[in-house]
Amino acid sequence: MYVKIDYDSCISCGTCYKRCPQDVFSWDDEKDTPKVTYIEECWFCGCCWMDCPKRAIDITYPASFF
Amino acid sequence: MVENLEQIADKVIETDVLMIGGGIGGCCAAAKAKEKGLDVTLIEKAHIERSGSSAQGIDHYEGFFTRDGTTTLENVRNEDWRLGRYGARYPNLNVKYRLYKHQFWVFDELEKLGVPMRWDDGEPYWIPFPFVGWERRKTGLRVHWTNIKPILAKAVKKSGARVLNRTMAVDLLTNNGRVVGASAVDIRTGKFIVIKAKATLIATGKLMRLYNPETPLPWKFKFRYHFCPASSAGDGYALVYRAGGDLVNMDISGWTLRHRDDLTISYGSFSLNDGIPMKCYTWDGTELLNPNATRYRQLEEQGKTPIYFSFDHFSDDLNKRIEVAFADERLLSFKVAQDRGFNPRTHRYELQDMRPTGFYRVSGIYIDENFRVLRGSLPIEGLYAFGDGSVGGTGGVAGAASGGLLLGEDLPAFLNDTDDPVVDISQVESHKQTALAPLSVKEGTEPLELESALRYLCERYVGMFKSEGKLREGLRRLSSLKGWLPKLSAETPHYLIGSLECRNLLEIAEVHIRACIERKETRGNFFKVDFPDKDPDMDNKFFCQRIEDGKAILELGEHVPLKPEYLREAQEEDANRESRS
Repeated sequence: MYVKIDYDSCISCGTCYKRCPQDVFSWDDEKDTPKVTYIEECWFCGCCWMDCPKRAIDITYPASFF
Repeated sequence: MVENLEQIADKVIETDVLMIGGGIGGCCAAAKAKEKGLDVTLIEKAHIERSGSSAQGIDHYEGFFTRDGTTTLENVRNEDWRLGRYGARYPNLNVKYRLYKHQFWVFDELEKLGVPMRWDDGEPYWIPFPFVGWERRKTGLRVHWTNIKPILAKAVKKSGARVLNRTMAVDLLTNNGRVVGASAVDIRTGKFIVIKAKATLIATGKLMRLYNPETPLPWKFKFRYHFCPASSAGDGYALVYRAGGDLVNMDISGWTLRHRDDLTISYGSFSLNDGIPMKCYTWDGTELLNPNATRYRQLEEQGKTPIYFSFDHFSDDLNKRIEVAFADERLLSFKVAQDRGFNPRTHRYELQDMRPTGFYRVSGIYIDENFRVLRGSLPIEGLYAFGDGSVGGTGGVAGAASGGLLLGEDLPAFLNDTDDPVVDISQVESHKQTALAPLSVKEGTEPLELESALRYLCERYVGMFKSEGKLREGLRRLSSLKGWLPKLSAETPHYLIGSLECRNLLEIAEVHIRACIERKETRGNFFKVDFPDKDPDMDNKFFCQRIEDGKAILELGEHVPLKPEYLREAQEEDANRESRS
């Protein structure tokens, strides 16, 4: 995955789910955590990555970028 | 028989002002209108804390053109002349005049909203030389606005305006030629919402998604645009068009050199961002001064491509300044560069071919200087637009913020004796059906597939170098592509965004292609291979397109000159300047 959530660091604050301009995240009600669901709509703006208070999100560029 | 709205809609809201789009412009308008005592409802497709073209931040604010001692009028005329050289002029110069006139009022208003206009030393940082040779100007601001959206969102919240995030407009509600609000859908829950409003404001960004992104990727990542794709779907254009408003110059698209490599800042903008002139080279090291579309084609034939964009000639200081600009506009760029071993100080960025990009500045929603949307040359009651999607120079951060603040300030007077809006229930029913239909289509087409097909069509049959044959083939294929709309399926409400965007994009693509067919000349960056000459009769004219009685209409509009009162004002400004010096 090109947008990866480190669930060990994630505190389920919901910032990424709330703010993503492209609505890439959904909310996993069972685990009460965010989930990367619509990854193909990501535009790699980095909002989730920079706004995450725990730095629990990593973004890497896909192969098609190179 | 449905008798009241509550039977159709999950939620009905009555408000004075409905603001569609919560980017920089929308937030400014909402906060201002609320401050003026109006009841304000803002709907935003994403979330106002990170939405619009500046979702992830912005590093410049170009707006204070009279700061160097030039007058408002001189600046308006200068810009008009400059745009004219590239193709089309602003249809109505009064819009730009009004925005330029209020630049410094806007500066103060933004500060009041809590927006940081100054750097750490308490002073604004004026960009030293916006363009090479313009050293003396210092009329644009460099701003640290990574968090402009969370800041403005806070201001909106403080103002008390009602905010509906993740809510996308379906269509405008109309009644006897007046716009009385909009229907919308919550894209997380699929709930259908009706908002009745005395005034409906549109600031949904500029349309860019008819063409591939500035960094086009093969395979499945189709949204690597420089500006936020959510605000680039041209939703506002389609809303206005379907409600009978005019779109102008929809044949004239902007253009850019596409990047093969990731860049934070779009081509040509470095000079704006911190007054830094970039350099462009062919692969064998020949410097290129003006790599336009025709030039790129020649270079390709000569085997001189790829071409590159480089700042390896910069001093350490300039490189530092670039890096700060990166941090302000897209922090992620640093990480990405590091991941791939790319050092912006020593590596060069590849520039791909020059392609059409978006519709803005001279093309989009036709408005007058009061931001009223026009039909013919008359305003549509209850409908306003500003920001990137409107024509006349209301784009960019400066245009959006000024437009929003000025309109918010004026609205109470405009709404003084407006009757309560009356909604046509059968219209609402049909909007609901249109919006939610994809939820019940099983095993249908994904919206992104249809959008990709549409972009391929525009790239292939419209593109940079147009011809009648290609355009007509494009139009023919477009009509069959439209047949796919009912096949769109939305597995979850999230896909309603894409399906509604597809509907908007297909609508505007037809407007675009029809205008391209109608223009029988080559002008500025509009290249029509079978009509290589400029038609001087078209100098002061532009295409207006709208729907009238269900029929698509295209007519010629005449350039609107400055109003006599503005000219008088300009004379006074000029006299004052002389007495000062």
